[in-house]
Order: sequence, then structure tokens, then C-alpha cells
Amino acid sequence: MTLNRRELLESLGMASAASLLWSMGCRSAPTAHTGGAATIDTAVVRGWLHEAVSKVAGTFPQVRAHAVQRRRSTAAIDAIGAAVSRGRTDGVLIAVRDRAGKVREEVTSDLSTAGLAELVRAVVGPNARVGKLDFGPEPRAARHLAVDPRSLDDRQLRARAEELLGGMSSSRIVYASGVLDIDDATVWSVAPGRDLEQRIVRVRRTATRVAWNGTRPVPSDGSIGWAGGVDDQALATSMLDAVARGALELMTPSAFVDGEYAVVLEPSVAASAIEAITRTLFTTTAMRRPEVARRLAPGSQAAANAITLVDDPAVAGAYGGFAFDDEGELAAPITLIDHGLVAGKLGDRGRGLRPGHLGPVEVAPSHLRIAAGTLAPTALIADGFVLESARGATIDPSSGQIVIAAARAREWKAGQPTGRVFADVELIGDLGMLVAITAVATDLATITFRDDVDGSPRWRSIQTPSIAARGIVRGRRLKAFT
Amino acid sequence: MIDRNQLLGALRGSDLSEWALVERSVESVVVDGPTRTTRREHRQRWTIVVHDDVPNGRGSAHVEVDAASDDTPAGLVIQARQIARAAVGPAWSSRPPSAPAHVALVDPDLGDLVDAAGAIVATAPPPDSAVAMRAEVARERTSIETKQGFHATWPATRFRASAMVVIGDRSLELERTARRASDLGLDGSLAAAAADLRGLALATASTAGPCTLVLRADAMLHGGGYGVWDVFAAFADGAVDRQGLTRYRIGTPIAPGAEALDDALSITSDGALDFAIRSAPSGDEGEAVRRFPIIQRGVAIGLGLTPREAALRRLDPNGGVRNLVVKPGAWSGDIDPARPRVIEVLRLRDLAIDRYAGDANLEIGLAIEHVGGAARPIAGGTIRIDLVAALAGARRTAGIVRRGAYQGPASVLIDNVVLV
Repeated sequence: MTLNRRELLESLGMASAASLLWSMGCRSAPTAHTGGAATIDTAVVRGWLHEAVSKVAGTFPQVRAHAVQRRRSTAAIDAIGAAVSRGRTDGVLIAVRDRAGKVREEVTSDLSTAGLAELVRAVVGPNARVGKLDFGPEPRAARHLAVDPRSLDDRQLRARAEELLGGMSSSRIVYASGVLDIDDATVWSVAPGRDLEQRIVRVRRTATRVAWNGTRPVPSDGSIGWAGGVDDQALATSMLDAVARGALELMTPSAFVDGEYAVVLEPSVAASAIEAITRTLFTTTAMRRPEVARRLAPGSQAAANAITLVDDPAVAGAYGGFAFDDEGELAAPITLIDHGLVAGKLGDRGRGLRPGHLGPVEVAPSHLRIAAGTLAPTALIADGFVLESARGATIDPSSGQIVIAAARAREWKAGQPTGRVFADVELIGDLGMLVAITAVATDLATITFRDDVDGSPRWRSIQTPSIAARGIVRGRRLKAFT
Repeated sequence: MIDRNQLLGALRGSDLSEWALVERSVESVVVDGPTRTTRREHRQRWTIVVHDDVPNGRGSAHVEVDAASDDTPAGLVIQARQIARAAVGPAWSSRPPSAPAHVALVDPDLGDLVDAAGAIVATAPPPDSAVAMRAEVARERTSIETKQGFHATWPATRFRASAMVVIGDRSLELERTARRASDLGLDGSLAAAAADLRGLALATASTAGPCTLVLRADAMLHGGGYGVWDVFAAFADGAVDRQGLTRYRIGTPIAPGAEALDDALSITSDGALDFAIRSAPSGDEGEAVRRFPIIQRGVAIGLGLTPREAALRRLDPNGGVRNLVVKPGAWSGDIDPARPRVIEVLRLRDLAIDRYAGDANLEIGLAIEHVGGAARPIAGGTIRIDLVAALAGARRTAGIVRRGAYQGPASVLIDNVVLV
């Protein structure tokens, strides 16, 4: 089999810097300008929202207007070329609750006086009158960013993406790419007595390397994400080297025996599992399922005593963080598991999040964190596997079965790695696996997630160390790696 | 706000080799039963597809534009071309446009969207159960115009219902999508979920060992898409085939002996199937959507071809793999009591398919174990199979089910499987 580079990249979902942008879901149109070209005066937007709320408040006991202006700037570079994409999404919604408790939302992508007037007409008809309302204190001015994405032109964005091509090189690496991805959202939330505004600039830097291994291309990637200025953090050379080593890792061609093993979930794998568990089980939506509510009753043992899990959107610089949620509730931490015991759940008060800040509300985590332990990662395991590079996790809320997929399982015996590394494995267990966690390491790392629902993005982050547990480990393929 | 005429003007004024402009406007209503929320949204989005021929080949770009933009239409077109030039591949030329498929996509009974969504949410729950329902109803209009003069506009409707069914201390979730409200089949789906919840209450743990596997519709179509048949949709992608990374080869049997079976497997992609969820008159570049065979009597014979993949093969594009129509078989669906052990799977917890190798792990959520004429519900256990070979040799029912993008046998029977 011969493949040219384009075909290889397409097989991985990317065919150049341009289609790399596409494969990342950055489908908005590019522009040659800097991002500040059509920024709306925030005082003007708040004025529009005040007026809209004032017109509707006389008819409904609860009313709130919510608006967003969101820009995405992405710079991608690989061996074929470099490209920069910039896109903008505007939107506004008016939400009202009537005396019977029914909620109604009207949404438009036209963030203008005309768009808001249309929404008000849809909610209360053509003859709405402006009432006098107190919206409380004005929001504080947005925090100054050391490097504001609005000040960067395409060349400057590309230069930052180029930095991600650094680190270790090898003739076996057939593809290398770097992506700088910036979501810059300004969100307004206005209701009687509440006048909120926040600007969240979420930045991700991602490096990808691909090397051939037998008849298969092996991709490896690493990323770092935060909220703040564009240059607040960097993907260190050591991380770029680790990405390259992940691609170059020679897989053991024989298979291992499926069975129960001691395992260590390195931070990306642990984060994948924690994110899935929280989203699937620790929300008010999940708790509507009686088996979930029963299994995770307040005070019940959900995990080992070493585990404390907190969702805290107020952590400074957290990629998934915010000052207020998309229902206008101020950020506050929620402890989900306290020393192994169920302590809380995420609800629509404070965790009502909307994809793209404007989609239908869903209860979801923001920035999850697990407290570090006291052991070095290498002290977590004697015999078993270290699972590396997350490939997703699923939870069946009905049975509690967990399936955690990883790109690699590194075998350890007598406290040392054997040198055998198996590709495409999964760890199977149930929620009892969390109770059976044996240790937590000191190596805290922050993993960021960005996915989308019907084309609108969701952002989450998880800070976690490596975690030691036990479970059934098996290969995902019937035949060994070839 | 972006103006369609200005965008078209900018594209017409450019010297791009090819372009297509797709405009999608959607009016949608979501009614969420548990939170008593009704949401109405208007959304408009454009897709600009450009191909730019340069001395070393052809560059292509797909750019999606929301209603708001920081740039002028002319600027958008210029920048789309710049992105295309960062992705130049082998040269190819577009075929002249052909007539779009004639396909019905609109529910003639759809009136007010809020009423329609409300009616779905008000679906009566099965006896002794509680149902939390969420419904989304959308009315869409798609318009495509290309440089070659192709112009088509079509309306469509879309329904999506998500339900959580609860009986006692157990629950199941289900989701259905359809072009017509009547095709959601919610009454039957809710009743089946209720029956399965009663079965789950009695289920015991599975035991490992060899068995015959039967996949009923809810297990076979786990995940809401093609379910287990997804492996063939992935293999039949023209770009994937050209890379040679999968085991699918045109003109060869999909598995050893697959062509010699009495009831050999045949699968067709039909993007012109009336009211099917992935049907459309044409694709994003104005290429006509066509019905084409993927597998005929156990032999791989067809590929989903985008305009680029088709041009590189000197064939006509067909709109890619759309709705899968699997030829039914002759099996009645009854379980033969003479078989030593049959695991009849009703629900899966998880389905993982390796899209290169075709291997799959099926995690059993609920099954009926048939041994010596006796039947008992079981839960748990994993089936690990070569899905391509298994489905190639599977017995298929004569009775069909139509759900989402799938139309075909309601159940399949696979011999010589090991439950672990």
C-alpha cells in the first residue's frame, strides 16, 4: 500500500493546514483583518438589553435577556502550508417564565436593535411599553489581557502556530502540525436587579505528530488550554517532545491476555473518565434516572477516600471557567465527591450552560479538579498497565458500566516498565472501580475539552493527577497490532 | 448581516475555477417536557465551497459563515481562495451538473411548530411508566447555486424526539429522528422500552461461552445512526477506499465465502429515499444525490463519491453514502429451540467499531438467553466479533424496520459467537 501525504492526512481527518481547520470544526469564514473590526460597544448592547427586558417585564414575572458575541480565530500550520481562519457568531435570546412556571425562549442571530425588537414583539406583541426597572450596579470592566487576540493579525497568529512545530524530530515522523485556537466570547446577561457582562478568551495550543508503525499511521497529540491572554501559557518543548515520542512509540506486535489488571490512568485518560462520569451521572438531569439517584445518594460512597472532586468555574485562568453561567447565575464551586462520599450534583442554578453560550441550556461541568495525592506516578504501580493517551470514555448510566479507551497500554512488572506497549486498549469496569481506586499521584495536569453540539462549541477543563485502579483490560482489536 | 445577493455577486465576480454557495435557513422549536421550556430559534448559515486551479493542482475550501461576519462578501471570497491555496492536491475538474434527485422531504401534515413539538411531548406513556420527553421540530430551506449555473432550492422538515422511560427504579433513554412525525414511531418505541425495563428487573448476569447471537432492532441500531451497519458506511467512503487502509476492495467479496451464500448480503445507499433522514436532492457542491449499490451479493461494488473522488476515478459523483438500505433475508425472526444456546440481544450498553479493521465490541445491556427451549433475561457480557464477516454471513429477517437513515431487516442472526 502506498499513500501520498494528502491521503495519509485525510485518513486522519486532516489534509493540510486548511482542512485541518475544517477537521477541527473551525468552519467559520476567514478574514485578513484583526479581530476587532466589528466589535459592538458593550454599553450599547447593555442598553438594548435593558430596553428589551423593560418592555417584557410588565407581562411576565421573570424575564432575562442574554446576548453573546463570539469570535473564533484559528491558526494552523503543517508541512503543506499555513492558514488562519476567523469567524464570528452573534446571538441574543429573551427568556421569560410565566406564573404557571412555563419557560419560553426566543432566539435570533441578529444582535441589533432590530433583532431585539423582533424578539420582544414575538414575546409580548407589538404594543409593549417600557417600564422603569432597576438593573443594579453596572458590571465591572473586563480584565486587561497581556496579549489580546483582537490585537493580533494573521501573521502574528501564524507565528504562534509555527512554534508548535518545534521539539524532537525524526525521519519516521511523516506529519507534524500545530494549531492555535482562540475562542473570544463576550456575554451579557440582563434581568431586573442584575446586569452582568463577561469576556472569556479561551486559548488552546495543540501539536500533532504522526509516524508509521507497521501498516498503520499512529497519531499522537498534546495540548494546553487556558482562559486569558494569548501568550499566558505555552506548550513546553518537553511536551512537544512527548508528543513526538508518542507517535514514534513502537507497538508490541503480539497481544496480551485480556483480564483484570492493576492500572494507572495517566492524567489525560483519568480526565476523560472523570469528564464522562460527571456529565453522565453527577447532574440533576442524570439524577432523574432512579438508578443513578439511588446509586449516588447524598453521603453514599462513590469513590475511594483519596478522591475529592470539585467543579469550580471560578478558578482563575480555567479553560472551562466563567464568572456567571448562561442562565445569569454567578460562579461558585460545587463539591461533587468529598473524600469518596457523594456531596453534591450540578444543577441548572450555576451550571446552566449553553453550547456557544446561546444553544439550549444543559447542565454540565465547567472546570473539574481532583486533589493531588502524595505518591510519584512511578510509585503507583508494580505489575499491570499504565494507560496513556485518552481515546474517550463512555458510561452506561443504567448499569454503571464504564468503558475507558486509551491509545496505549504500557506494561509494568516488578515496579519497572517491561518495554512492551500495546495499542488501542480499553479498561472495563463499573462504578465500583472508583471505590477501588488505590492511589492518587502528585502529577497534576490540566486537560481541556472542546466539542460541539449542532455546530455550537462547549468548553470544559479538568485538573487531575494520575490515578491507580483495577479493572478488566483488553485490546480493542481481535488481532494483534500489525 | 451577510447578504446572499452580495455573496453571490462576489463569487460571480471572482476568477475561481468552481464555486458553490449553499444557504440554509432553519426555524426550529424545542419543547422540553421536564423543564417546561419552549424555545424558538431562527438560524441562517451559508457554506461557500471554492475550487481554485493553480499550476500544481487544485485547491479546495469549504467555509461556513454565520449570519454575522467581520468581513465583506468580497473579503470572504478572497480569503476562501487563500485557504484553498493552502490545500492544493492533484488536479481534477468538476463534471457538469446533473438533475437533482426527486425526493419528498416535507411532512405535509406539519403546521405550527410549537403545536407539533408539544404533541410529541404529550405522547401517552406506556402503562405503569413515566416518560420525560423532549422534542425538536424544524422547518428548513436549502438553496444551492454553483458557478456552472446549477440552482436548486428545496424545503425539508425534521423531527427529533428524546425520551427517558422510567419504571420503578430503572430507566432507559431513546432518541428517534424522522422527516415526518408519523415516522418517529414513538408509541412502539416507548412500549418496547417499557417491556425491556420489565425484563431488566428480572435479568441475571450473563455467563461466558459460545452461542448464537441475535441482534434485535434496538441493539442492531444502537447509537441512533447506522448501528452495526456503520462499518459498511465507513468502508464505502470513496476517500477511505482510495487510501487502502480498510479491508474493503471493490470487486472482491467483503469476507471469504460471502459471495457464495444463498442469502448473500446486499446493501444500497439511497439518498433519494422519500422522507429518509439523510436524503437530499443534491450535495453541497450541487452534485446530484443518487441511489447506488455498495455491496451486491456479498461483493463490494460501490463507493460514495464526492465530486473530487468521482473526478479522480472518471466517474459521476453520487452524493456519498446516505441512507443504508439492507436487503432483507428469508429468516422469520423466530428462534429455533434446537439451537443449543441463543443470546437474543435487545439493548446494548455500548458499541465500539474499529473503522479500519471492522472489529467490534458489543456490550450487552439486556438480552434473552434461550437454552433448550427455556428463556431468561440476562444483562452484561461482551461480544467481540469481526463485524464485517459476521454481518456478511448473518441471517436476516424478512420483516424490515425503517429508522432514521436505515431501512432493512429488523433482526440478524450470527452463528458461532463467543460471549465473554
